[in-house]
Amino acid sequence: MLKYIVRRVLQMIPVFIGVTIILFILRAPGVLPGDPVRMITGERAISEQLRAQIIEKHALDQPLHRQYALYVSNLLRGDLGESYQRGRPVLDIFAEKFPNTLRLALAGILVEIVLGVTAGIISAVRQYSFSDVLVTLSTSVLVSVPVFWLGMLFQIFFGIKLKEWTGGAFYLPISQMSSADFPDWVHLILPAITLASVSTAYVARIMRSQMLEAMGQDYIRTAEAKGLTRRAVTFRHALKNALIPVVTFIGIDFGVMMSGAILTETVFSWPGVGREIFLAVGQRDWPIVMGGVIIIVFLVMIINLIVDLSYAVLDPRIRYGGGAE
Amino acid sequence: MTSLLEVNGLTTHFTTRDGIVKAVDGVSFRLDSGKTLAVVGESGSGKSVTALSIMRLVQEPQGKTVAGEVLFKGTDVLKMNEREVRDLRGDRVAMIFQDPMTSLNPVFKVGRQIGESLMLHKGMSRKQSFERAVELLDMVGIPHPRERAGDYPHQFSGGMRQRAMIAMALACDPDILIADEPTTALDVTIQAQILELMMEIQERTGTAIIMITHDLGVVADMADDVMVMYAGKQVEYGSADEVFYRPRHPYTWGLLDSLPRHDIDEKGALQPITGQPPSLIDVPSGCSFHPRCRYAQPVCSAEVPPLAEVSDRHCAACLFAADPEFVRGAPLPVAAGEGGAR
Ligand SMILES: Nc1ncnc2c1ncn2[C@@H]1O[C@H](COP(=O)(O)OP(=O)(O)O)[C@@H](O)[C@H]1O
Ligand SMILES: [Mg+2]
Repeated sequence: MLKYIVRRVLQMIPVFIGVTIILFILRAPGVLPGDPVRMITGERAISEQLRAQIIEKHALDQPLHRQYALYVSNLLRGDLGESYQRGRPVLDIFAEKFPNTLRLALAGILVEIVLGVTAGIISAVRQYSFSDVLVTLSTSVLVSVPVFWLGMLFQIFFGIKLKEWTGGAFYLPISQMSSADFPDWVHLILPAITLASVSTAYVARIMRSQMLEAMGQDYIRTAEAKGLTRRAVTFRHALKNALIPVVTFIGIDFGVMMSGAILTETVFSWPGVGREIFLAVGQRDWPIVMGGVIIIVFLVMIINLIVDLSYAVLDPRIRYGGGAE
Repeated sequence: MTSLLEVNGLTTHFTTRDGIVKAVDGVSFRLDSGKTLAVVGESGSGKSVTALSIMRLVQEPQGKTVAGEVLFKGTDVLKMNEREVRDLRGDRVAMIFQDPMTSLNPVFKVGRQIGESLMLHKGMSRKQSFERAVELLDMVGIPHPRERAGDYPHQFSGGMRQRAMIAMALACDPDILIADEPTTALDVTIQAQILELMMEIQERTGTAIIMITHDLGVVADMADDVMVMYAGKQVEYGSADEVFYRPRHPYTWGLLDSLPRHDIDEKGALQPITGQPPSLIDVPSGCSFHPRCRYAQPVCSAEVPPLAEVSDRHCAACLFAADPEFVRGAPLPVAAGEGGAR
């Protein structure tokens, strides 16, 4: 087990090298338009002296491989550099935005678990019933609706059309979360549902099909032959088997959500990691883009590792590196 | 005196897209304490559905037991409410299934799965049930039972899993153990060990056994009674001695002839029954076996043979069963021989 973890962590190194190199190539002169000094100073004219200072500070005059080496050595010391635009350390900016992204991701996962898993179970247990048909239809619709469109629809409907009725709880911009009239979580509702919409539909579908498959297995008949109630058979014997792939899906999805829900955060002006990166790309604020992507890659890899390890806990047939069989 | 189990006219149908499958059609038998009934027949003859019907485990709503009674100690299981049936299952009547690979839940420890019915029916705590599971594993001959009880099914070999299934079925000391082809999925040496184990356990606990198999050879040593099924119907039923030594139904003859024998050259002795079992949606008219019967007469396709007593504790469902000349190995009828039935 430990060996497996060490191996997985070592595997992250080449991924990091690859990601940073690609990002560096993208920012090389001529690949994308824009003079980095301009990016930092904006449109106003600056003195040659200031210009030289800026180039010196950000090592912009060095050859690319030097800049890369410098960046990596700083990275290894936990320094992601400074934003061109904001003049603040990249790490500080993300440390400030990350809690927002985390909160949104947690809320999204909660929606996914509560709605998706429940709908899937009901749908499977009452196969071909009205609720099953309803779940099947609504999940088909949900997976094909673009996230940003759903987000805007929600805003128009709940924020504007129902403004009076909801007391303006969902009125934009949500980013000004200071409105003391409502507790914080109220602002989370619409972005969380939007963020989780497609995944919730997938979770419901996976849950349903896994549950139906489990219910048809021989061990279910064995459990029934023991005299267990329908309930115990369904929720103990079938559910535990059916949940394994669902948990994996949700875990990986959590990684994806944490890496900044760019669309949802942008549509709702949610001050998170995704929106920050989105803005930084527009401003060619390379330190932020690079730092953000590196943080995301790191998070996703860590979460995937945790998911894989929890898979082994859930499914006794899988034991990493132990060589049980 | 009431029998431990008395089944009368059991009839179970499945509704499918192609029509109604008459999986079990009017089956009757009795079983007394400590006795073994063997149910034999080719695959698809309705053996498993018979067993599931007794336990009321036929999958609804496609499957339904539409007629008959299943009297357990005089009470009709088919008329019991859900709760009463559940109290019976796993406690008084237990079942072992064909494929030990898939019949155990992969995500629960073996000891836990064995202990589950003890917690349910005997009110044991988890700890007590685990201790008892260890004893049961020991009883069915699993080495290091304490450690193995903490293992998952995939860590067991096929034979060991079937032993664990037997331990699970025996947990509550049932009156009846229904074993649905318990050795079919196992290799020959393991088969013999499992059968041996079941006989040994029966001797010790006095449980009655319904042993389902498609192989008459498997049950020759252990059965007290034998019921032969064909196309959902019972075609012959009697004491093992009668059915093995004085069989009266041509289908039983076919089953016996297809047994490999050690006293003669095997190739010469093997005479499998020709043709395929019929679809249970469109059962042939008259005697359902007539299209494959070497002795079939015109009357066989017209008249349904009743299950008639041919001697003491021995019945057969063949129009000619009462004819003393009509015995296993009898010469083929002239008409069939000339007409070239095949
Ligand atoms: N769930 C089901 N739905 C439809 N038909 C079934 C079902 N289960 C069994 N049958 C049919 O019932 C018949 C008897 O099956 P079964 O009792 O399993 O045979 P056996 O155990 O003797 O091999 C078969 O023709 C089979 O196709
Ligand atoms: Mg069967």
